[in-house]
Amino acid sequence: MGDKSDVLQGTLDLMVLKTLEAMGPLHGYGIARRIEQVSRDALTLNQGTIYPALLRLEQRKWIKSAWGISESNRRAKFYSLSALGRKQITEETENWERIAATMARFLEPAK
Amino acid sequence: MDLIRILMTRCAALFRAKRLDTDLDEELHEHIELAVEENQRRGLSAQAARTQALRDFGGLTQTAEAYRMQRGIPFVETLLQDGRYALRQLRRNPGFTVTVIATLALAIGANTAIFSIVNALMLKSLPYPEPDRIGTIFWHIEGSQPFEGRSEINGAQWELLRDNVPSLISAVTSPISSGANLEAGNTVEYVHAGRISARYFDVLGIRPVLGRGFTEEEDRSNGPNAVVLSNALWRTTFHADTHLIGQAIKLRGQPYSVVGVLPADARTPLDADVFTAIKPSRKGEGAGTNYGVIVRLRDGANWQQADGELNRAWADEAGRFVNEFHRGTRVSFYTVPLQKGQTATLRPKVLTLMLAAGFILLVACANLAGLTVVRMSRRSAEIATRLALGASHRRIQKQLWVENLILAFIGGLAGVGVGFMALRGLLSLLPPDYLPVTGAPLDGRVLGFTMAASMLTSILFGMLPAIALRRINIRSFMASRTTEGIERLRLRQVLIAGEIALTVILMAASGLLIRTLIHLETLPPGFNPQGVLTAKVSLDDARYRDSAAFDKLMREGPAAMERIPGVESAAVGLSLPYERALNNGWKMASGPLRGQSAMSGFSYVTPGYFTALQIPLLAGRTFTGADRRGSQLVAIVNRTFARRFFGTLNPVGQSLDDQGTIVVGVVEDVAVEPHSEQVNDPLGSEPMTYTPSAQAPMQMLSVVHAWFQPSWIVRTSRPVDGLTAQMQRALTGVEPGLPFSGFYSMSDLMAKTLATQRVEVALLSVMAGLALLLSTLGIFALVANIVAQRSREIGIRIALGSSVRSAMAQVAGPGVRASLAGLLIGLICCAGTLRVMRSVLYGVRVYDAITIASVVATLAVVTLLATTIPSLRVTRIDPAQTLRDE
Repeated sequence: MGDKSDVLQGTLDLMVLKTLEAMGPLHGYGIARRIEQVSRDALTLNQGTIYPALLRLEQRKWIKSAWGISESNRRAKFYSLSALGRKQITEETENWERIAATMARFLEPAK
Repeated sequence: MDLIRILMTRCAALFRAKRLDTDLDEELHEHIELAVEENQRRGLSAQAARTQALRDFGGLTQTAEAYRMQRGIPFVETLLQDGRYALRQLRRNPGFTVTVIATLALAIGANTAIFSIVNALMLKSLPYPEPDRIGTIFWHIEGSQPFEGRSEINGAQWELLRDNVPSLISAVTSPISSGANLEAGNTVEYVHAGRISARYFDVLGIRPVLGRGFTEEEDRSNGPNAVVLSNALWRTTFHADTHLIGQAIKLRGQPYSVVGVLPADARTPLDADVFTAIKPSRKGEGAGTNYGVIVRLRDGANWQQADGELNRAWADEAGRFVNEFHRGTRVSFYTVPLQKGQTATLRPKVLTLMLAAGFILLVACANLAGLTVVRMSRRSAEIATRLALGASHRRIQKQLWVENLILAFIGGLAGVGVGFMALRGLLSLLPPDYLPVTGAPLDGRVLGFTMAASMLTSILFGMLPAIALRRINIRSFMASRTTEGIERLRLRQVLIAGEIALTVILMAASGLLIRTLIHLETLPPGFNPQGVLTAKVSLDDARYRDSAAFDKLMREGPAAMERIPGVESAAVGLSLPYERALNNGWKMASGPLRGQSAMSGFSYVTPGYFTALQIPLLAGRTFTGADRRGSQLVAIVNRTFARRFFGTLNPVGQSLDDQGTIVVGVVEDVAVEPHSEQVNDPLGSEPMTYTPSAQAPMQMLSVVHAWFQPSWIVRTSRPVDGLTAQMQRALTGVEPGLPFSGFYSMSDLMAKTLATQRVEVALLSVMAGLALLLSTLGIFALVANIVAQRSREIGIRIALGSSVRSAMAQVAGPGVRASLAGLLIGLICCAGTLRVMRSVLYGVRVYDAITIASVVATLAVVTLLATTIPSLRVTRIDPAQTLRDE
């Protein structure tokens, strides 16, 4: 199970975007499970927190939604990346890598 | 850009909330189902699968909550939610809600009504173009008896003003509009005529809608007679005849040529039906300060400039005043904007009323604060529960504020309604010309004031619970139930003491005014007012400048009246009791003040005057038919005159003035309206001289009749049907073409003179009563609440042996103590504040024992009732029941 830890809003957003980039259109449950899998279960967030994040991304027009049929043959809402979203991924990824590099320098013993 | 788009999306979401909620529901449930299926595939049982799925998800409700916060505009949504909740709460506590709204409605209604009058009187601009450039002239007398007031001017001053004060456009007018006879077709009407100089309409900025104003020529002593009509008269009497300009109409028995008609919306301070030229001069009327003056500042000039020029121009005249009338003083003049000048006497009264209304608002606030504090303590259970369920303090405070504002809003609306009705009632009580404005409408400014007052009260009595709220937390609620009781009680007692103090001040003030009114109303009138009817006839008429015509009218008119069946006696007099008499000056010819100049009231009367009014004769005789023109000049004086000018000497037989007039009789004083220069009393006695109408000097009459119309008096032994019509017929029989106007009984006249007093007393008493009512309710609520809160404790005490009476005393104690404290504070404040009322009190001293005693007594009775009645509940507490409940 592991500890449930807080995940910053911005990071969750990026994770969702990357998931959709990799997997193509997915419904909310699928996105949540995929994030859990990719983080190798080190990160078990409350799955529900994904929904406000999805709404936020949709308001910014980085993703769009459409109703479709899930694998269980029921109605489900599917999310997919928009062109704007794709562009955003590149920017956010660069941002993250810059922050990670800076943090790495801090965390390494002084050279 | 992004931000705006997101904001718009959120706004849109507000309206589609229901639909979006359904969608979300579906989506979330689908999520759970998919999770359940996956868990089952992994080998969990159906039950375990679902449990696991829900646990992994986190809180469904919380997610939906977070989602909705992201989706809409949380502030607005919670606001609406709070509003709905507040309305439910208010409906569930009708007692509280109704009490609050009623209290607010009364307090705010009183304030709205008074403020409407203040607004109409002092804040709204006069209906003239650039009204702040119109003014009048005041004079300022320094010295032993300082005086400031509106100045009337004489002919010399007028000429200097017109020629030597370039900063002002000036005009003079008759001080009031007076009656005149207008002949149109075969009817004769009594109309109100104002006399004005040529530039009057220029000063006011009024342009006639037909024709023009007066030319300089028409305003000269021997100039042609011209008249300007008011729009209303033009429409009614002359049927809006557009060809009227240039035609002659008969006014005052002479032809006047119509030169102009005023527009329909024109308003003038004189408020006359017709205007004629005043033709100012230095003689006659102009020899004394008899002209009213109104001025307009020219473009580019300012008031200080005008004041300087004015005082320079009138330096000589001012010097003359000082030498003749006001030795040892300095006289100066200054301009005053018209609105301020017109309302100068009313201003302090109206402001006092505003203060009283403000007091009531404070008292209401204190009451409401007390009520709200109690309600808060009753709701602490509810609030603690909400805190436990996860509400933030801010959210709960916000909800309480919404409740307060809703109450304030409803209270404000109710207040506007109450205020409107109170205003209508008030305006109908006032005599028609009391306020120098027509109507006091509820305009935007008044409504704004009302809402502001409402919000202010709500903030004041909402602040307390918000502060109290900080103390409520879950732990404190669970732990104890009655801890904050004492602090709360102290607070409420302080509030009540404050209320009572304010109430005491209001009651004392209104008590003093009531005593003043009683004093004035019971002043001995000096005559018998029962069964007397009066009416005026305008003798400002070319036909009566001749002594023969005048004397004939004075002889035959009353005689014709006396022939009407039911009429006991009839007479004519220049002025009546309760009215202001003409002021006359001369040099005393005998007595202790011989050689000195004297002023006294003056009136001419027909011989039957004293009999008709039943004025007692104190010495000598009244006039007879033998006192005619050409025979020995005689006069009758009243008691005050005799005392002031003759001392202990018997005036009968003494010579009065250098004309050789002999005093033949002394009569009792009648109550009149004194001249307002030295004295402020609305009613009193003044020295009076009476002369027989047959000996009245015609030259003086031609001036006097332009200002005063003589009054005809008829005394009947029993009520007579259609008396007024019969009087008119009788008069027409003697003199065709003379209309009566304004039939009044003597008590009507007294009412008119005392109108100001009556209105003040009525208003202030109502407000004092209101404050008393609110304070009583406050005490009542306090004691009732103590009983409710402490019923357990009291039950135990009684079970342990305390008597019911001492339990009641214990419960009523805090209320009585608060009231007592308030009384003391109030009396101390009275000692300081009531002194300002000195100038409006007559016949009663400021620290009047009877008034104070009645205030204390009333408060004692009221406190007794308000504390005893709720404490009677104690008798219903069954100690056995209480013990069982423990």
